[in-house]
Amino acid sequence: MSSGESAVSIRHSSGAVSPLTLLRQGVTEILSRRRLVRYLVSADMKKRGSDTLLGNLWWVLDPLLQMVVYVVFVTVISKRATPDYPLFIFAAILPWKWFSAVTGDATTSVVRQEKLIRSIAFPKLVLPVAETTAGVVGFAWGLVPLAGLLILDSNRLTLMLLWIPVIAAVQYVFTLAMAILVSAANVYFRDLGNAVGHVLRLWWFLSPGLYSLASLEELHTIKDHPIIGFLAAANPFAILFEAYRSVIYGTADGVGMPFAPDVASLFYLLLASFVFLGICIVFFKRLEPDFAKVL
Amino acid sequence: MSNARNGYAISVEDLGVQYNLRFNRKITLRQSFANVVLRKPPDRFWALRNVTVQLSHGESLAVIGPNGAGKSTLLQVLAGIMRPSEGSVDVRGQVSGLLGLGVGFDVELSGIENILLGGAFLGLPTRRVEELLPSIVEFADIGQFIEAPLKTYSAGMRARLGFAIATAVDPDILLLDEVLATGDANFRTKSKARVIEIVKAAKAVVLVTHDMEWVTEYCNRAVLLEKGRVILEGAPDEVVALHLQRTEEETQRRQEAARAAGLDPVLRPK
Repeated sequence: MSSGESAVSIRHSSGAVSPLTLLRQGVTEILSRRRLVRYLVSADMKKRGSDTLLGNLWWVLDPLLQMVVYVVFVTVISKRATPDYPLFIFAAILPWKWFSAVTGDATTSVVRQEKLIRSIAFPKLVLPVAETTAGVVGFAWGLVPLAGLLILDSNRLTLMLLWIPVIAAVQYVFTLAMAILVSAANVYFRDLGNAVGHVLRLWWFLSPGLYSLASLEELHTIKDHPIIGFLAAANPFAILFEAYRSVIYGTADGVGMPFAPDVASLFYLLLASFVFLGICIVFFKRLEPDFAKVL
Repeated sequence: MSNARNGYAISVEDLGVQYNLRFNRKITLRQSFANVVLRKPPDRFWALRNVTVQLSHGESLAVIGPNGAGKSTLLQVLAGIMRPSEGSVDVRGQVSGLLGLGVGFDVELSGIENILLGGAFLGLPTRRVEELLPSIVEFADIGQFIEAPLKTYSAGMRARLGFAIATAVDPDILLLDEVLATGDANFRTKSKARVIEIVKAAKAVVLVTHDMEWVTEYCNRAVLLEKGRVILEGAPDEVVALHLQRTEEETQRRQEAARAAGLDPVLRPK
């Protein structure tokens, strides 16, 4: 099934379209197909909720269980104890689960719809967009156990928590770009999923999730090679984790109470993410016309 | 605009669609790395080449030919799913295609929700879908099931729902790919009637089928494709006759080849 929105459509083989045109087309497609994205997201929700034993409860339990695993693991191998360590890492696990789940699922978001793509002409960009947006719901459910942890630790229940949606918005832009990138690349390289899984795992351990950025900066390697230190600090998830942690947990030593995040670095990350998103949309749009042939 | 005066619905000129087999089906990073290292030349093949077809409003064109002739690729290009590698395709009017029934469906959603989802995939405005809803539900004839999740539907019910959605939009140009043979006899009659109705409403239809009866009975033009090339275009009778003749020749050739190879040609090739 397919439909042309415009009454007349002329298609030629000459395909040299400028990146800016592609970008404009991509953005217009996403905005004009918001309803389709909404339907896809709600279909996704239904699927995840309905066919599991505990339904939505998994959204709540999953990050909590992961936190328990890391708390046990880190407490065993590390000599130095961070006060209120569960909350310390939960502030990072929650956004990371969102990012890694979306990036992992997004790799197959286009190839999964192989039949559809060969039968209907529609903007394929809606697929990774829907995947990323559906991830927001998982993140939102994760706020329930976070609220639970904060109630146990009511000192940290501050107005700073209102920063979470702002930080999440920055993360959304970055995640969306990543989802668009991997979903298109996976059409051409079907084993990308394997690589993505390993890259994500490495990325998580290299990001200051289980430890603070400050403790990373004390390492000798980083003191000797400032370039590595710069890269470590420029890692999007260093900025995001530090921001989430500052508003949820407070200072890295566990003494200071929650404080406002570093707005400047968040702003730079947002800008960079938009540029990255633009590049990824152009990349996707370049490959899109051949999806039906390759799938 | 000289084209508008001709009043054609579809104009395909010197169309070519090329596949790059290097990027075909489940290629892996590992393989493509090996290809680069071993400097393997790109493996290309033309699914369609030098295809020129024109279709006016009110005409219905049958596309026939053996498997792998490029029939479905032609429909995909007309539907805008695939981009031509060379030549041009000019389609005037709203296109709706039945290239696969119910492909956009989600089994967890109900019939109604799937109609809304299908409409959204087709790019129809919400209001239009809501207007069409009663007629789709009626035509699909799935009664109470319309509120039940699609996973409870039979294959026939899904096909009916798919057909109802695709034809409900009253397209200017309808593309059909072998879908008439779905559902029970009753629905087949109904869907045939609907297609004839669309053809009669002075709308263009392009039909890919193996049902030669349909071609001679309901189409006023036919084109025979083989290996991506147009063999003959013209009156349905002539084109069907040529197709049958060539199919017969091909079968004989294969049987002879099989005999020459010392095989018993019990399994007649299609």
